[in-house]
Amino acid sequence: MVAGRRDNGMRLLALDETAETAGLRMGQGLAEARAICPNLIVIEEDAAADRRLLEALADWCDRFTPLVGLDGTDGLFLDITGCTHLFGGEAAMLQEILTRLTQMGLAVRGAISSAPGLSWALARFDGNRIVAEDEQEGVLAPLPVAALRLDDTLVQALHKVGLRQVGDLLEAPRAPLARRFGADLMLRLDQATGADEEPISPRRPVAHLSAERRLAEPIRAQDDILALAATVAEGLKPGLEARGAGGRVFELVLFRVDGQVFRLSAGASRPLRDPPRIAKLFAERLKGLHDDLDAGFGFEILRINVLHHEVFDSTQGDFEGDDRRSLSLSDFVDQVSARLGPEALQTCQLRESHVPERAFRMEPALRQAPARIPLREAPPLGVTVSRAERPLRLFARPELLETFAVEVPDGPPMRFRWRRLTHRVLRAEGPERLAAEWWRDGEEALTRDYFRLESDSGQRFWVYRQGLYDEVAHPRWFMHGIFA
Amino acid sequence: MARPALAQERVFALRETIARLEGRALPEQAAAEAGLLAERLAECPDRAVAPQGRAEEARLKTDVAAFDQALEGGLPRDALTEIRSLGFRHAGAASGFALSLAALLQAAEPDGTGSPVLWIGERMGRGEAGLPYPPGLKAFGLDISRFFQALPQRLEDALWLAEAALDSGLFAATLLELRGNPAAFGLTESRRLSLRAKAAGRPLLLLRQAGEEEASSAAFRILAEPAPALARRLPDGSMLGGSIGHPVFRLTLEKSRNPAPLSFFLEWNPHDRRFLALDPARQAQAFEPKAAHSGASFSASADRPDPAPALGSVLAFERAFERAS
Repeated sequence: MVAGRRDNGMRLLALDETAETAGLRMGQGLAEARAICPNLIVIEEDAAADRRLLEALADWCDRFTPLVGLDGTDGLFLDITGCTHLFGGEAAMLQEILTRLTQMGLAVRGAISSAPGLSWALARFDGNRIVAEDEQEGVLAPLPVAALRLDDTLVQALHKVGLRQVGDLLEAPRAPLARRFGADLMLRLDQATGADEEPISPRRPVAHLSAERRLAEPIRAQDDILALAATVAEGLKPGLEARGAGGRVFELVLFRVDGQVFRLSAGASRPLRDPPRIAKLFAERLKGLHDDLDAGFGFEILRINVLHHEVFDSTQGDFEGDDRRSLSLSDFVDQVSARLGPEALQTCQLRESHVPERAFRMEPALRQAPARIPLREAPPLGVTVSRAERPLRLFARPELLETFAVEVPDGPPMRFRWRRLTHRVLRAEGPERLAAEWWRDGEEALTRDYFRLESDSGQRFWVYRQGLYDEVAHPRWFMHGIFA
Repeated sequence: MARPALAQERVFALRETIARLEGRALPEQAAAEAGLLAERLAECPDRAVAPQGRAEEARLKTDVAAFDQALEGGLPRDALTEIRSLGFRHAGAASGFALSLAALLQAAEPDGTGSPVLWIGERMGRGEAGLPYPPGLKAFGLDISRFFQALPQRLEDALWLAEAALDSGLFAATLLELRGNPAAFGLTESRRLSLRAKAAGRPLLLLRQAGEEEASSAAFRILAEPAPALARRLPDGSMLGGSIGHPVFRLTLEKSRNPAPLSFFLEWNPHDRRFLALDPARQAQAFEPKAAHSGASFSASADRPDPAPALGSVLAFERAFERAS
């Protein structure tokens, strides 16, 4: 049995059958329970583990419908609208879900009805049953009021006035009830009868399109998975074509035999529709995973979701073959991003800023729409590029220098020490004075004077002095980049 | 009658393979190609340039005759070329030379669309020498709208990326930066990469920062060192005193088919995207490091009980050995 801290004392939270026959009940104090039954095995409550189990079960339930919502700490809502025929009707589906979960060693109860509230009430207070639309109220009436998902104080208040069953509430006039017990009661009542539509909030965004294959014999080998992924992706094609779209982000969901669910997502740099290329995305992704994917006894369901899609421009290739080249560039970007992660391959963009480290930005190549990778260089609009010399390599964070014999006020150092080596400056160009961006760095930010220095060994450096002499008494010098 | 012809054919094929391994054209082959060319010329004059064009495509001319000659006609477009620096303090010169070659390769793409360039960086290199700086690259002559940069976590990923880039055949140049001589990048890996480069007909520039000389399957290995730049040129042809002009590299051809290591001083003009050879004698004079302290310098004392150990490592034997092998 499980115990946890409630109302300032250890109380029993869950019991097994043996404990129940020994006369223990839920909510009993732990000390009292120990007195009744001295050889009690008590496990402390672990809310996080419970949550993980419920999440895992919800993942497992994804096989029945994509709309799976968590309910509190011990329940799952499945919106099976339009899915039942795939499993041979409502009764067969409920039977299958319950049987399979029971086989996993769980005590499960379930019900199917047209309202989530009613299903909740039935599963907890009645039994595993399916309720048709017209017999709702008849089924609901004999249930206790607690079946309406009310808080304990409200339930006790209802008990005090003699309203013990839902039927009592259904018969009573609504206005006095609402006045006395609040609008919440009426809302719950309406939700249970289906008069008020209650949406189930699914755990994951619902895929725009998905295709899956259920296997009689589980598969384990990576090649089999990929071959199957290609045939499953074939099933996505008509849907994408009907929408005139191509997928940008795909998700491969693998349901392992023992209930574990693996999700691998892979992005494409341009909308994709072609099944082999979709499968190829996952080929790189699987290779990148190496051993992290534990196939166990195999996967029984394989599904591909399209999480994000975009308009698919079917362009006609021209004779020059430019089109083919840009296509294969996006192939390359996909291949690398799928294997090494979307951040692995980056392109650069110039930004409008005088501050050197802000004059550019690296962006994942994947994020750039192919239309924005121009084949011929187009100068980025509105970005003025400094005519001054810029270094070839820039340090992410400028490194402090020790300088000697600096010309005051605006001159370069004659010698400086950087990384334990002393460099003698033969020639210098500068200063290039760059004021700080007060709208970002504040009024107190220091001006930088940049110098291009050439040392006696022929190395060329880009150093700056932070602050003018009338701004700070002892300005510091930094190495910011190196020239070729 | 068929048998001797077949044998002859096989012998010719073998001889061709050997010639290919050795990197030189067979005289018969050249003659045959010339004959073929003449035949084609006779057939259709407007298409006859094809074989010659291909031969030219395989090498990138740097416009410096002596350097091209040392490289047997130019930088090979289908091979691995190693550029080495003595230490990270020379990273500017080494990456500068590699990037200038990349700019040259990018500009010389036949269709002129500016093929992309891929820089595969080294994690440590980022801290040691900084990352390529896009505005600087642009000023250096590269088309940065087609510049891709990758910083893989592991060396295996970097090698995979280089292979994938070569295989795709998209990149005008792929630059792979390494630090030192990692054990995971030995002769096998470099052979693998150079075969990929050969198959794809795309160049791979291996930038080995702070590395020792090592046997590799690179077609050429060039040691890049910094050298003092010339002053800026004024429009009337005179020099602006005290200014720092275009970058100058001091290059030593360490591995090639030439008998002795050759040294060059090349100036890179980013605006025209071309190299200019400088007079080595004058540069060497300028390059002479001056004494940090003026005044009389005494000769080092010798034959003391505990002599200071020699600095650095002696490499001449290794170099000779490698060329022989």
